[in-house]
Amino acid sequence: MLEIRDLRKSYGKLTALAGVDLDVARGETVVIMGPSGCGKSTLIRCVNRLTEPDQGSIILGGQDVLALSSPELQKFRRRVGFVFQQFNLIARLTVLENVMFHLVLGGMEREEAAERALASLDKVGLRAAADRRPRELSGGQQQRVGIARALVTNPEIMLWDEPTASLDPILVGEVLEVMEELVKETGTTMVIVTHEVSFALRVAHRIVFMDQGRVVEEGPPQEVFAEPRSEIAKLYRKLLVN
Amino acid sequence: MLDFFRDGFYKDLVLLLVISIILGAAFSQGVAWAIDTYFGDTLDQMIGEYGEYDLILHIREEAKEAALRELQRIGEQSFPGYKLNETLTIAGQANVFFGLPPQFRTREVLESITSYFGAVPGLNGYTLMAEPSVLIRGVHPGVREELREEIEELKGVSFTVKDGNNLVVLTEKEDDLPQVTAGIEGILAQYQILELRFPMGFEVDTQEVGNKALEILRAQESSASRYANVTSAQYGEDLDAFLKTLVEMRDFLGSYASKVRISPSPGISLSVGERIVLEAVGEMQEELIIEVTGVFGDLAEGMIIQGSPVQSMDRVVQQGYRLLGEGEQGDYIGEVEIENERYRLAYAVDESLRLLAELEELAVQASSAVDNAEAVLTTFQEALMQLEVLQVQMRQLNEGIAKGDAKSSGEQFLVTLLLNGLFQTLAQGVIHTGEESLDSLQNLDIEEMRSSLDGISTQIANVQEIDVAAIMEQIGFVRDTLPDLSDAEIGQSIRLINTYLGGQVIPGERVQLLIQGEAPNEKALEKIFQTELENPYLHTYSTSAGMVSPDARGEIFRILKEVRSIVAGMLAIIFTMIVLALDHAAIFSTLKQLRAGKKARTKRWMRILDPLLLFGGVLGSGLLTSIYYLAKGQIPFFSPVVVAALGFVLGVVLVVFAERFSPVDSMELMAGQSLGLSNVQIMREVVIPPSRPGLLNLLNRFKQQF
Ligand SMILES: Nc1ncnc2c1ncn2[C@@H]1O[C@H](COP(=O)(O)OP(=O)(O)OP(=O)(O)O)[C@@H](O)[C@H]1O
Ligand SMILES: [Mg+2]
Repeated sequence: MLEIRDLRKSYGKLTALAGVDLDVARGETVVIMGPSGCGKSTLIRCVNRLTEPDQGSIILGGQDVLALSSPELQKFRRRVGFVFQQFNLIARLTVLENVMFHLVLGGMEREEAAERALASLDKVGLRAAADRRPRELSGGQQQRVGIARALVTNPEIMLWDEPTASLDPILVGEVLEVMEELVKETGTTMVIVTHEVSFALRVAHRIVFMDQGRVVEEGPPQEVFAEPRSEIAKLYRKLLVN
Repeated sequence: MLDFFRDGFYKDLVLLLVISIILGAAFSQGVAWAIDTYFGDTLDQMIGEYGEYDLILHIREEAKEAALRELQRIGEQSFPGYKLNETLTIAGQANVFFGLPPQFRTREVLESITSYFGAVPGLNGYTLMAEPSVLIRGVHPGVREELREEIEELKGVSFTVKDGNNLVVLTEKEDDLPQVTAGIEGILAQYQILELRFPMGFEVDTQEVGNKALEILRAQESSASRYANVTSAQYGEDLDAFLKTLVEMRDFLGSYASKVRISPSPGISLSVGERIVLEAVGEMQEELIIEVTGVFGDLAEGMIIQGSPVQSMDRVVQQGYRLLGEGEQGDYIGEVEIENERYRLAYAVDESLRLLAELEELAVQASSAVDNAEAVLTTFQEALMQLEVLQVQMRQLNEGIAKGDAKSSGEQFLVTLLLNGLFQTLAQGVIHTGEESLDSLQNLDIEEMRSSLDGISTQIANVQEIDVAAIMEQIGFVRDTLPDLSDAEIGQSIRLINTYLGGQVIPGERVQLLIQGEAPNEKALEKIFQTELENPYLHTYSTSAGMVSPDARGEIFRILKEVRSIVAGMLAIIFTMIVLALDHAAIFSTLKQLRAGKKARTKRWMRILDPLLLFGGVLGSGLLTSIYYLAKGQIPFFSPVVVAALGFVLGVVLVVFAERFSPVDSMELMAGQSLGLSNVQIMREVVIPPSRPGLLNLLNRFKQQF
């Protein structure tokens, strides 16, 4: 489904990705873990070209992502769901509008878009909040709106960039719950960047450890946590044990 | 970067630019026009429309009502169809506009304003403002008539009016003004006034020197066609008068100062400006310092510049020493004689005061003396008349006795004898000295003596009538007000006046020559005149025969137009800045944000010359240039290049500080991208709606879907 080869990206002198290879199979849930600044966000943003890599190739569903023209890229992005660490909701729009507006801009009738948006909000348990504005919601609720927004297009693949990292611990649970449900019910291909070790252990088919712009270790959760080879994996195992 | 605009946003941008430019130009020009109109209207209200009025009469405020009544009367009587308008009153002076009906707008009327309006109460003067006209200032009286004739020949000129030193040239139409002005300037260029100035103190016969100078000029090789002596007295009169007063003042002070005569000892030579010190003698407080003001052979003169001399009626002779630099006393130079004129004057005044006091008494005495003299005269005359009678009788007697008249009786003889005896006893003394004495007595002109006595008596009476006390008071006043200056002060004042008079060439006397044709080289001529007229101090100055000066109204309107262009230009700049900051900043913020995710720039020129900055600069430049010129902006020193450069700089500044002017939420932006929105959709739905309320924001409302 997703094939990343020798992906490189530098910001000036700073190398964020130093040649990353990653394969994700259809329906697979891959969790990416690694210390702050190791390039996880950069990697995941390269997949839908929110960040333009300098080198390498990304093939998604047989499509060469880096070769897409602007209009093609826009179409492509609609097939990819992206959930941000900071939720990235449009502040001036209501919850419903946040979930449906890109459908309408993509050419869908308003009624249909609204219907689908409401359905999507249902999935995250926020139908009732449809007419409220993001700032009136708690962080967890906002992130659930973010998830509903990513979900509404029925994406082929969902990319999660630390969806719970900016939530306070009490609110983390509700988001993880929604995520776990989604993984189990939809069977959509997922690439999740997260530090939630137990969540990863429960949900992930495979865990990928990154350090300094490289993949340092990968494998099924039980394996990598049972016999961690890299320093990073060992560190995460400690977290798990505690 | 171009990609960004390609999917449709370019349309929005172009629309924005077009509307910004149109609006900016309209706004800038509109405001400028409003200002212009406002001031223009105010001005019209103040000074009437072009050509509406011909005169401004300046009238003392308190006499305004009466003046207006009188003006109405004059208008009705002499200028039926006149216009009258009372405008501003400034500093106690009311300004009344008076418009003449066209048939009265003639040279004759305009040159005799005073004879028409002289009787208007409170009139302080007037200003001619007949229009359309060209004003020539400072027309030399020597060429005025000539100029007049030439100017009146010009096409479009209807007539000229002399107004003091100015010449007002009235044209037929306003449109004729530029061409007439050019014509007048051409004529004026043909005339030059060459002035020969002699320093103060040179008495010059302007006629004689003028003629000599003309000869000298004619001898020069020059293409000038005509020379004339046009020396005019009134020219620069005030300064002359002032300078003459200064000279008088100096002389007065000089005559009033103590006279100092220096007799240098043999072998000592003094020079002007040198200082001499005299030791203090008698009641003098301090030593005297004298400055040598003139050396005449073996005598020198000086004045006291420090200290006060002995107060004495007589000359005081003291020993003089050279004054060395540090106030030290140097060699003996000779005797110095000081005569204190002021002291003498004061003494004389005191004396006359004393005499006056005695005069009254004297008059009374004289008057009684005259009365006595008259009484004596009367007695004397009576006595004389008796004597005469006696004399006749005596003569008859004598004759009778001498002839021995036979016919005389004894009786008569006896009487004669008796009488004879009597007479002899009576007039012993007289008879004794003989008849001569009596004759000389008779020769006394008694009547003459009486009338002269009468004269004396009336004069004495007059003296008595004079109010001597008042005179004494007057003289006392004179004495008290005699300048209470010390010699040192007088000396300093004289020195001050001298430096002022001597420091520069002051037009003592001037000769003015008219040169028609090519202007001569004035400095070369100066040398020639200096040698030929044997006066190294004279200077030459060349001036024009008159200066065309812009008419006040035209000038005001020109300034207004300038102000309007400047205002329009400034507004164009401000508007551009606002448009850039409010609208374009959002676009550039977005572009900068999006660029962050892009690949590092590969082309070298791009790294040096940031295309974003370039784009901003070009945009700013285009925007400002268009608005500025459409708004008819015109700021001094703002050439098109400067305007374009300024726009460029504004654009570059905008790009650099775009986020400050209009921050873009990068989270929302990224969400928009991730949701597959096109650039134009991102702009319309994500970036612009929450951006600053500007034109872009406003225009976007029509396209925004959420
Ligand atoms: N737009 C950017 N400009 C410059 N440097 C950047 C940019 N984005 C990321 N970086 C740098 O690249 C490196 C990798 O960043 P990245 O965000 O991918 O790390 P991360 O693994 O997601 O870290 P975190 O856990 O903190 O989110 C970091 O050192 C970061 O500072
Ligand atoms: Mg990250």
